[in-house]
Formats: sequence, C-alpha cells, structure tokens
Amino acid sequence: MWASAGREGHLVSSRTPSTLETRAPTKAQRRGPPALAFGSFGSPAGKCGGDSQAIFLLLLLKEKWVLSRMQQSAAGDRSTAVPSLYPSQASLTADSYYTYRVIEDPEWSLATVPHLTELCLQHIVHNFEKNPILDCLLPEHQRKVLDRLSTGLPLAVTANLISDEDYWKRCCTERWQACDISNYGDSWKQMFFERHLENILKCFIPNTTDPNQVLELIPLCKDYVRKLEVDQFLPPVQMDQKEESDDLSNTGSDFEFGEVSIHHYDLGVLITALPHLEELHLTYGVKDCGMNFEWNLFNFTHQDCCNLAVAVKMCHNLKVFKLTQSKVDDDKTRLLVRNLLDHPCLVELNLSHNLIRDKGAQAVGKLINHSRLQTLDLCNNQIHHLGAQALARALAENSTLTSLNLRLNCVEDKGGEAIGRALLTNTTLKSIHLGSNNLSEPTAMLFSQVLAQNTSLTSINFSCNHLGLDGGKQLLEGLADNKALTEFNLRLAEVGQETEYLIHQIVWANREAARLGSLQHPSAKPI
Amino acid sequence: MMAAAAGWRDPAPALSDPGPQERIAARRRRLAAKRREALGEDVELKVAQVEEEQRRSHKQIEESRQRLAKLLFDGTQMVTNIQVAADLREMQRRAEEAELKLQRVEKLENEAKSSTYKFEEITSKWALAKEMTIPQELWQLLNQQQQQCALLLEEKNKLIGELQQELKNKDEQYVWAIKKQSDDIHLLLERMEEQIRLMLKNYRHELLQIEKAFELERRELLENNRKKWEEAIQAHNAQELEYLHARMRKVEEFEKQLNQLRVQDEEEYNSMKIQLENDVQNLERQLQQMKAVYQLNQEKLEYNLQVLRKQDEENTIIRSQQKRKLNRLHSLLNNLRTKLANQEKQFREENHSLAADCERITGQCKEVQRRMRHFAISDAEKFTEVWLMNEEEAKGLMRKALDADRVIHTQQLGLPWEEPRYWFLNNVGPLGHYKVKRMATKLAAEVLTESSSGGQEEEGREKEKEEVGSEEGGKENTAKVEGRVTPLRNISKRTAKRILELISDESGFLIESKLLRSLQALGRHERTLMKLDSIFAALEIDSEDDLYQLVDFFLKYKAQEMAVSQGEGQISKGGATVTGQLQGRGVLGSPGTRYPQADVEAVGCAGSGTGGILRDPHAESQPACRSGPPAAAELGAVPAARGVPQLRGEQQAALPSHEVDGPEPVLPRGSAVGPRGQGTTFLCPELKLCLEPRLSGKD
Repeated sequence: MWASAGREGHLVSSRTPSTLETRAPTKAQRRGPPALAFGSFGSPAGKCGGDSQAIFLLLLLKEKWVLSRMQQSAAGDRSTAVPSLYPSQASLTADSYYTYRVIEDPEWSLATVPHLTELCLQHIVHNFEKNPILDCLLPEHQRKVLDRLSTGLPLAVTANLISDEDYWKRCCTERWQACDISNYGDSWKQMFFERHLENILKCFIPNTTDPNQVLELIPLCKDYVRKLEVDQFLPPVQMDQKEESDDLSNTGSDFEFGEVSIHHYDLGVLITALPHLEELHLTYGVKDCGMNFEWNLFNFTHQDCCNLAVAVKMCHNLKVFKLTQSKVDDDKTRLLVRNLLDHPCLVELNLSHNLIRDKGAQAVGKLINHSRLQTLDLCNNQIHHLGAQALARALAENSTLTSLNLRLNCVEDKGGEAIGRALLTNTTLKSIHLGSNNLSEPTAMLFSQVLAQNTSLTSINFSCNHLGLDGGKQLLEGLADNKALTEFNLRLAEVGQETEYLIHQIVWANREAARLGSLQHPSAKPI
Repeated sequence: MMAAAAGWRDPAPALSDPGPQERIAARRRRLAAKRREALGEDVELKVAQVEEEQRRSHKQIEESRQRLAKLLFDGTQMVTNIQVAADLREMQRRAEEAELKLQRVEKLENEAKSSTYKFEEITSKWALAKEMTIPQELWQLLNQQQQQCALLLEEKNKLIGELQQELKNKDEQYVWAIKKQSDDIHLLLERMEEQIRLMLKNYRHELLQIEKAFELERRELLENNRKKWEEAIQAHNAQELEYLHARMRKVEEFEKQLNQLRVQDEEEYNSMKIQLENDVQNLERQLQQMKAVYQLNQEKLEYNLQVLRKQDEENTIIRSQQKRKLNRLHSLLNNLRTKLANQEKQFREENHSLAADCERITGQCKEVQRRMRHFAISDAEKFTEVWLMNEEEAKGLMRKALDADRVIHTQQLGLPWEEPRYWFLNNVGPLGHYKVKRMATKLAAEVLTESSSGGQEEEGREKEKEEVGSEEGGKENTAKVEGRVTPLRNISKRTAKRILELISDESGFLIESKLLRSLQALGRHERTLMKLDSIFAALEIDSEDDLYQLVDFFLKYKAQEMAVSQGEGQISKGGATVTGQLQGRGVLGSPGTRYPQADVEAVGCAGSGTGGILRDPHAESQPACRSGPPAAAELGAVPAARGVPQLRGEQQAALPSHEVDGPEPVLPRGSAVGPRGQGTTFLCPELKLCLEPRLSGKD
C-alpha cells in the first residue's frame, strides 16, 4: 500500500496526519496511513517531475476533504488550527466550495503549508536507512537532509555515504562527552571511526565476542582510521575461573590452568586491513579492574607478541608504534625488533613501562640503525649499563634518531659514560632523557665534555641523579660555551642551587637566542 | 624545594618562546617597514619614527611575553616537579627494595642454612634413636627430637610470619603508595588547574595591558593622523579656495575675451554678410545678363537653324543640279577622251615626221656651222686688219694730243712735261692677251678637283673639257687650260684649295638654309662645290678674277712679299680683270634663266659653237694675242659652255640665285650687239665700261 502510494506520486496534503485522520477517516484509510502520505520518490527526477501531478492531487484531496467537512457537522470550524487549502479568496471565487471554505476559515494562509521540496526532504530523512539519497540532491537540500539525519543510523549506510563533518560531529558529541578533534587530524569522521573501533577492540573478549563485529566494521572504517589507541585488551573469559575468582589471587597454580587460551585478540586481521593506519598505541592490560585484579589479566603472551609483530610488519604506513605497560620483556622485544627491522615508515617507537632488560636494549640498539626511527622511548624499563652501552654504540653511528628517553632505568655511570661518549660523535640527537638512572659525577664529567663539543643537543634531562656538587660545576663549565642547549633539567640532581641557577641562566639565554633565530628564519621565508 | 626553585627563578630574565602577539606585531612592523620602503620614502627617518611610535606597545608586549614565559616555565616546573619527585621516590623505593631484597635473601639463606643444619642434626639423631633400646631414652630422644622439630618449625613459621608481616607491610605500603599517588595526582591536578587559572589570569591581564598600550598608541596615532589630516584638509581647503579664485578670475577673463571675440566676430560677420550680399547681387545681375545672352543666342541659333535649313534645301536643289551637270560633264569627258586618243595618234605621226625634219635640220645646221666657222675666221682676219688700221689712226691722234699737251705744258704753262706712258700706245693688234675669264665657280671646281688628286690633274681637266662639249681639238683645250690656269700659278693649288674649302666651311651663313639642308645628302666634294657656288652668288663673285682677288685677299695675310713681288703683274692684270669682270658680268647674265630651257639650250649650243669656233684661232694666236676673238663671243661661249650644263644638271635649285639684276640680253642678240658694241669698246675700255650698262639697259 505504502509503496504503491509512493509510486503513484501521492503527494502531500497540507493537513497534519492527525487532523486528516479525524476529519476523513474513510479517505485516509483508502489512501493508506496518513503518516505515509508523503510520496516516496525513487529518484530526484520524480521530485522534479511531480509538480504538476502534485497540484492535481492536491485538488483531488481538497475536494475530498471539503466533502468530508460538509458531511460533518456545521461546527467544523471548531479548530482554527485546521489549515485551509485555499490561500485567498480572490483566487478561488470561481468555486462555490472554495468560497464556502473561505467564509469558514478566513485566517488560513499558505505560509503554514510546507513546501513540497521540504516534505520530500523530510521523507528522504525518514527513509534514509532504506533508501539513502544524498549525492543527487542539490547542495542546500543535502544540507537540510544532513541536519535532520539521525545519528543512530547504521554505519553501513552512513559510513561511506556521508562525509559531512557536522553529521559526524553530532555523532561524536552524542556518544562521548569529551571530544578533542585535534588528536584525530581535525576530522570528526575520523574521530568517530577511530574511537568506535577502539571501543569495540577494548570490549572485545576473545572466544566470546563475535569476530565479525570487527570484520564487518573494517570495510566501513578502513578509509578513515589513521590512528588506533587501544589501552585495554580483555583476556578471554574462563567460566570456571570466574567462578572461583575469589580464590584465584591465592592459588598460584591456577595461573597455569588458563594458560592455554589466554591470548588476546589478534590484531593482525584488522591492522593489515587498514591501509591508512599510521599510529598504533597499544596497552595489553585491563583498566578499572578494581578488586577483580588478577595477574593474568595483564599477561602479554608470546603468541600475542608474535601476532602483533607480524601485524606491525605488514602495516607499511605505520609511523608511530607504542606498546606500553604490557610486560614486554627481552624476548618479546627481540621478536618485535626482528619484525620491525628496516620498516619503511616507522618513526617513533615507544616501549616505556615494560620489562626490557639489557638484551632487549641491545636489540633496540640494533633497530636504531636499521630503521628510520627518530624518537625512541624506553622509559621505566630495566636497562642496565650493558644495554645502555649497546644503545650508545648504535647512537654513535646513527644519524636519524633525534630523541632518546631512558628515564627510570638503571643505566648508572658505566652506561651514562658510554652514552656520553657516543654523543661526542653523534650530531643528530637533540633530546636525551637520563633522569633517575643512578648517574653520578663521572657521567657529569663526560657530559661537560659533550656539552662543550656537541652542537645539536638542545635538551638534556638529568633529574633525580646523584651528580653531586662537583659534577654540577663541571656541567656548568662545559655549558659555558654551548649555544645550542635550551633545556637542561637538573632537578633533584644534587648539583647545588647556585650551579643550577647559573646553568638555568645560560640555558635561558640560549633559548632566547634560539627564539630570535627562529623569528628571523621564518621572516626570511615570506620575503 | 618548589618554593626555592620558584624563588631563584623570579629574578631570572624573562626569556621564553615568543608570544603570538609579539610575533604578529613584529611581522606587522616588518610589513609596514617594507611598505614604506616600497613607497620610497625616507626609510631611516620613518623607521626611527616607527621605532619611537611602536616602542610603547612593543615594550609592553615584550614585558608581557617575558612575564608570561616566566610564569609558564615556573608553572610547568611546578607541575613537573611532582613527576620528578615521584620518580625520585620510586628510585629510592627501588633502591630500598633492592636492599631489602638482598637482606631478605641473605636472611633466607641464613635461615635455610641453619635450618638445614638443624634438620641434619635431627636426622642424625634418628639414627641414634634406632640404636636406642631403652624406651625412656628413646622417649627422651623422641621428645628431644620433637622439641627440635617444633623449634625448627617454629623458626620456619616465625620466618613465614615475618615474611607475611613484610607482605602486609608491603600491602600497607602499596596502599600508602596508591594514596600517595592519588594525592600526587590530586596535587598535580590542583596545580594544573591553578596554573591554568593563573595563566589565564595573567594572559588576560597582559592582554589587557597590551590592548591598553595599543589603544593608547592607537589613540595617539589617531590624534596625530587627525591633526595631520586636519592640517592637510585646511591646506587643501586653502588651496581649493585659491584655485577657485584663480578659476573665477580666469572665468572672468575668458568671458571678457569671449565678449571681445563675439563683438569682433559679429563685425566680421556683418561685413562678410554685406560683401556676400553684394556678391549675390552681382551674381544675380550676371545671371540675368547671362540669361539675356542666352535667350539672344537661342534666338540667333534658331534663326541660324532656319537659315541653314533653307540653305540645306537650296543645297539639295543645287546638288541635284550639280549631279545633272556632272553627268553632262562625264559624257563630255568621254568625248574628250576619245578626242585625246585621236589627237595623240595624230601627234605621234606628226612627231615622227618632225623627227625626220629635225635630222635633216641638224645636218643643215652642221653645214651652217662649218660655214659660220669659215666666216668667223675670215671675220677675225678682217677684224685684225680693221683693228690695226684704227689703232694706227688712234695712235697718230694720241701722238698729236700728246704733242699738244707737251706744247701746252712746256710752252704755255712752262711746266716740264713728261710723256705719260700708256700701254695702248705700244699695243699692236686687238687685245689678244685679254684672257678669257672663267666662271669663278668653274675655277673653284677645277681647283678643287685638281688638288684632290695631283696625278689626275690633267686627265680630270680634259674630262671636264670633253664634258663641256668641245669635242674637237683636245690638245688645244689642254693648252688653253694651261694658259688659263696661269694666274693661278702664283698661288699654289693646294693653298687655293685650302682657302676655298675654308670659305665653303666657314661661310655657311651666306648659304640659304633650305639649300644647306638639301646638301646634306650629297658627297663631300659636291657639297663643297655647291656651297661655294651659293657663297659666290651671295658675294657676287662671278668671274675668275673675282675669285683671284678673293684668294689674294686671303693670301695677303699670309705672304706679304709674295704679294709685293706679284704686285705689278696684278695691277696690270687687275685692270684687265676688272674690265673683264665687268664685261663678263654684263654678258654673264645672258645665260640668265628667265628664259625657257630650250632657249638656254639653244643659246648654249650657239655659245659653245661660237666658243668652239672662237677658241681655235685664240689658241693658235695666243702668244701674239693680237687677233683676239671678240670678248663678247668668248665671254658668252664660256658660260654657255660651262655654266649651262651646270645649271641644267646640278644647280636647278639654285637657279633663282643666278638671276642677275635687270633683264639680260639674249645671247644671240648680245652676240649681235657684240659687233655693234665692239665699235665702242674699241675706243676705250673705260667708255665701254660706262656704256655697257646703258646698252644692256637699253636692250
């Protein structure tokens, strides 16, 4: 019935459906449900070509409606809200019915009747899910349709059809409270899809959740996802374990029980299907576990690592890879590094808050010279002087790395000296963080030498070390002629207030000089 | 620690990243400077001004920027201090942990060692127990063992308890750490918020300050600009006013000029109008006149037309008449033709008969000529005889007269008398030496031909002679020619020829232009001759003597002594030539061409006949010259012999120039006169001179 009405091009009556129903129920029944009185057009051509037909139908409707009114009691004018079909007396004097109607309802005006296009658009909006029409509309009509579209429409319909930012903005703001578009390439659509995908991945429980949930989404979001930031991977649910979860914390034997299927979701399928993926931030762990804490919730298994490594290797556009707080140990590091060797794009690697020891550090050191890494973050690991020496060796030859973070490791003086020696020859590293590394005076001595020689370093962090007063003085001496360093963090490094103050003065002066230089530099360009 | 850190940073110079306002301001300044530079103004001055102008806001911005940078840095330090502190704590904790772990391990090892020792002790006792046989001892031993085991266990338990206690402590520590962490986080948040608040406040404040500074500056600028603007406007107004005045003045001036011009133009216009009106009137009058003339002409023409028509009609009538007449005349013509044919036949027959007559008559004529020659010889003999007689008579008379004269002189007048010497006193016989004068032209021709080829001189002359028609006596002719040429011997033929040629070349002005033109077609020799002929005609040089005179005249310039040596001969000859010339002239005219050709021919024939007759005795008696033929005859013969052919053959065009004044006596008559005149000429050549014109005139 509805479809036939649509095809016939039955057009809008100006009356609201409810009034129509009350006034002329029989007619309404014949014509179908009043809510469906709008013609549904298969194509915009129908909309364009339907004008004359529409007028004709309007006349028909008018007649019917007037007849129904006549059949009703004379008190038909009880509601002034009922709009008349006849805009003015002058134009319709010829028809006796019309005159009759005009006498009955003089306040009626055409202004209350929405335009035909308006109604069509409304209809399109209502049926967008089944019959999405957007591209063939005029721009202003598109705008209207987009403004009215529901955010709850299935992504399968909207994902590849709608590129309008406002629509996706509505989707985002309805779904999440805080939306910082700047983290998502200033695109609401990208933000929506990335966060949507992230949410799904966060809630994905292996063996329980249907993997199609992700797979179905891939063709929809693959063009828009550039960054994937997943800070939670749920382990597979083990019913028996859940039941006796109270005991789990106490019984260590149970760990081995669930070892078989404890692997997390394999990202391989997803990541390789996203051609534009550039950033990958992963944390294998469970958030907000509260009192349900279990150690095995935070288990980044070897299998997981293998899967991830293979997936990352396949992901050629990846630029930033972050794997933090995931208990990555030496073996996994080596596995990852082996797969990341000679990666074409990788620029930033973050393996902070893991369990990397010297061997892992050695592997990373190898990676430095076999990739385009510019930023390396290994903070809060367990790298000792051996690892630091390996890194220093790599650093001495490297010409791409600009930033190295070794905060909260145990590099100690041996490692510190090695790194210092490497920095005597390195000319690309700009920033180094050696905070909380148990460094002391010998390192400070070497670094004073580095400061005197190296002109590329702009930022050094020695916070929370035991450099001592003498070390501070030596650093001050080394810094005396340095013009490049703009940041030198010596907080809680036991160098003495005076030394720290003087060093701060020098660094501040350098920073000012750098600012002026950068001011002049861009000024030279526009000219 | 934080306070300290913040404390010493306060005096630090506020150096930090450039604030956006500052950067924008700097950029604007640069742009403005560039614009000014582009405008080509005094850059330095402007820059200085700009510096001064911008100083306040710039200073404000710089100050604000530094303050904000300091604040930002301090705030960041404050915030990050927490992290650093946490790091330090963590480090310390790690160090402690490591130490504790070491202790624990040591403790455990110690414990393990002691416990194993004890355990071994106990186990060793078990062997002892086997040896035990006494129950009390065994019991005692067992008790002891039990106690030791209990002790061991107790120790173990104690250790466990300690460890558990430690664990609990750790848990507590963990809780505390978590608490601490949350505190830290709270603190961090607090500080961040505070920092944000502070920064916001400060930014607002600084913004306000900067805005104020800008506002102030703007106001100042506005004021300055307004002042400038007002000044400019005033200046502009003043200038405008000035221009207006100038304009007004100009307008007035122009109006004056316009009026003046208008008046002038009006006057001009009026005068022009009057003039043009006059012109129009004149033209109208002319038009009227022209119309009248036209009408008159029309009438005339109409009248003429009618007249012509009538004439035409008359003409048609006349034409018909003429036609009729023509027809008539045609028939007449035919008749006449037939008559002509008849007459021609008749005349041909007559001619034949006449030719026969002529032959007969020529035979008679020859006969007559022979007879006449005979008579001429006899006449000449008679003449000499008569001459000698008369001469004797005249001489006797002369002598008488001379005697009388001598007597008168010596006796009457008492003057010494000298007998005058007259040639004629010595003369015997007729004037035979009287040379036959040749025609000047003929002579010239001779001279020219002679000189042209020395070797052919004689032959050429002979030829000439033959042509002349003296068939008989070629030798006599040559001799005669030799004789005749004698006067020329004084002058070399070459020179004579040269002179003649010169004359012919130089005196072209004497020749008629018509003749000159026709001469172009002829050869050089002939042309020269013709020219000479006409020149002589113009100069009236007819005879040989004239020509000699002419040549002499020319030669005198060249050779004086020659002239002197020849002087006598010439004088003596001169008289003869003059007389001869004069005589010749009279007779020369005889072949005058007024007469029909036939007459001339006849005369020529007669002349040549007489010439031929006359020559013979002349040639024979030339040395003596006493019996000279009558001059008239000779004179007549020569021109007849030489001139006629010339006239006939060559100089028919020049005939009129040969006309000599006065009617010439016909030769026969002349020759007839000759004997008559001879009588007078015998008396005295002078008399003859005087008489001859009269005679000829009479004739």
